Amino acid sequence: MNRAAAAATLLPSEMLHCADMTVLERQRARLKWEQEQQQQQQQLQESYFGDLGGVVFHQVTQQGEFEGGLGEVVTRSVKPDPGLVDNSSAWIAHDVMAGFVGACGYGNGTGSGFDMNYGIARTTSCPPTVVAAAAAAAKGKDSVGSDSKMSSAVGRESFKKRKADKVVAEDDTRDKRIKGCAEEGESKITEKNNNRSSSSSSNQNGNNKSTKSSKENSAETSKDNSKVTEVQKTDYIHVRARRGQATDSHSLAERVRREKISERMKYLQDLVPGCNKITGKAGMLDEIINYVQSLQRQVEFLSMKLAAVNPRLDFNIDNLFAKEAFSACATNFPTMGMSSDMTNPAYLQLNSVQQQLVSCCGLDMGINPPDMGIRRTISAPIPETFLDSSCFTQIQPPSTWDADLQNLYNVAFDQGRSTSFPPQAFAGSIEASNMKMEM
Amino acid sequence: MSPQRLSLNPRSLKSRFTKGFLRSLRKIHKERPTSTSPREIFQRYRKVKTAADKSLASAVGSGRAWSRAMLCKCKNQGKRRPVLVRRINNNRAMKRSELTEKKSGDDDEEVGFDQASGLRKLVPGGQAMDLCRLLEEAAHYIKCLNTQVQVMRCIADCYTT
Repeated sequence: MNRAAAAATLLPSEMLHCADMTVLERQRARLKWEQEQQQQQQQLQESYFGDLGGVVFHQVTQQGEFEGGLGEVVTRSVKPDPGLVDNSSAWIAHDVMAGFVGACGYGNGTGSGFDMNYGIARTTSCPPTVVAAAAAAAKGKDSVGSDSKMSSAVGRESFKKRKADKVVAEDDTRDKRIKGCAEEGESKITEKNNNRSSSSSSNQNGNNKSTKSSKENSAETSKDNSKVTEVQKTDYIHVRARRGQATDSHSLAERVRREKISERMKYLQDLVPGCNKITGKAGMLDEIINYVQSLQRQVEFLSMKLAAVNPRLDFNIDNLFAKEAFSACATNFPTMGMSSDMTNPAYLQLNSVQQQLVSCCGLDMGINPPDMGIRRTISAPIPETFLDSSCFTQIQPPSTWDADLQNLYNVAFDQGRSTSFPPQAFAGSIEASNMKMEM
Repeated sequence: MSPQRLSLNPRSLKSRFTKGFLRSLRKIHKERPTSTSPREIFQRYRKVKTAADKSLASAVGSGRAWSRAMLCKCKNQGKRRPVLVRRINNNRAMKRSELTEKKSGDDDEEVGFDQASGLRKLVPGGQAMDLCRLLEEAAHYIKCLNTQVQVMRCIADCYTT
């Protein structure tokens, strides 16, 4: 139970991840920052990081300003630093703004705006961490070489808490009880994400923005790869909410659930034969139900058969396979000869046997189980070509029974399918049905 | 059904099921040696059916919801006071199903209520699952049923020939 639940909690995030890859593809130009994270996750080459390292750095400075100055975020973030390229800084400002707008939109309506108080108020569960991280980031702007380690450690610590938050959020999603809690977790995650990236790139700052620093950055990110993945997943939820189609958490959870259902349906479609042609969930579900019913009736029928036959008690699992091999050979020799010489008689015999059985079973309405079992086996998708392929399946086994033991099941199964209703079984089932009539 | 899944690996589901089922089958036949009266045969049929279910469920283990439900059902079937047990179970099942009806009402809307509830009845323990879980369990259940049918057919063929 616990394991299954854990798997279920893991699933939605993965699916979000997958789904939002496409979203990112579409919004590539706008979400440069997310794309960079994605590339980090895929561990691409340093040249790319050389380009993007600068971007990270810009963002850090923006971030530092953002956390340092109270209430002046808008003007500051729009105002670029002297060394920065206007275009990229505008992008980053936009991103940061959007991130915090999103965070505030997620919040419970504390209405604290874009100032530092907001960040502290949001993270009441672990205030020291965030404050320390913020302080580290702010310091990191000035002189960072020594502080980088500390801030990264803080980031790591906050990662653990973030994970816990995430689990809580996922559980709530599953229970369809997401209100403020999950959103709180998300916004917290966003903030911590910012903190972490600032810490990682403050390290870069200490190295004077050289190409070496970009290499180091890539090394660090590859080391913290799992963290980045976690960050990405949560960030993806964020992106989804921003898209505008479904902003409330209920429809988010709903979409995840629907994707999960269709995935399971696809799996079931592979499992149930003859289900590939059917489109539409209702028809597919009907087919699945029919198949399960047919299997259950086959089990009933077979257990009736086993109850009716006279068992040989010297029989155990060790010689089951040997006997199977023997019986397969013994029964396949005559049928093979028959099918090679006169295929029609075999076919007719089978047919007449079936008719006999159906007529026997048709005597009373109370004998449904065997009748239904047989009808099922005929109408079930696997033995659909029962009569047509009977000769073929009878010819087939001799080519395989001299193979190794692994094929024995197969042989026996083929044989069982082709001559699945031997006369003794009829006696048994008729007996059983008589008994039922009496009762 | 595919040949590559058919192995004689002793830890595979198939061989575990075969072992357990043959053991209980032998026990059933031993405690009441051959009799041809219909009543006896019917009783034996019930026992064989229960044994098949039970050995399948115990071969799967308690990792799956449906096998747990099936084991529970088998255990309750074998008890001496079936009436009392059944009444309690019914009450509990009723409550649970009412709960799940409320909870999963929107689940069933999109695929059609009839189908979902039909599948719920077929998969053991399906009354208490939401749709995602139900489909997952149904997939596993179908696989195991396939194996069961295969093995039982083999055994029946070996008995009759």
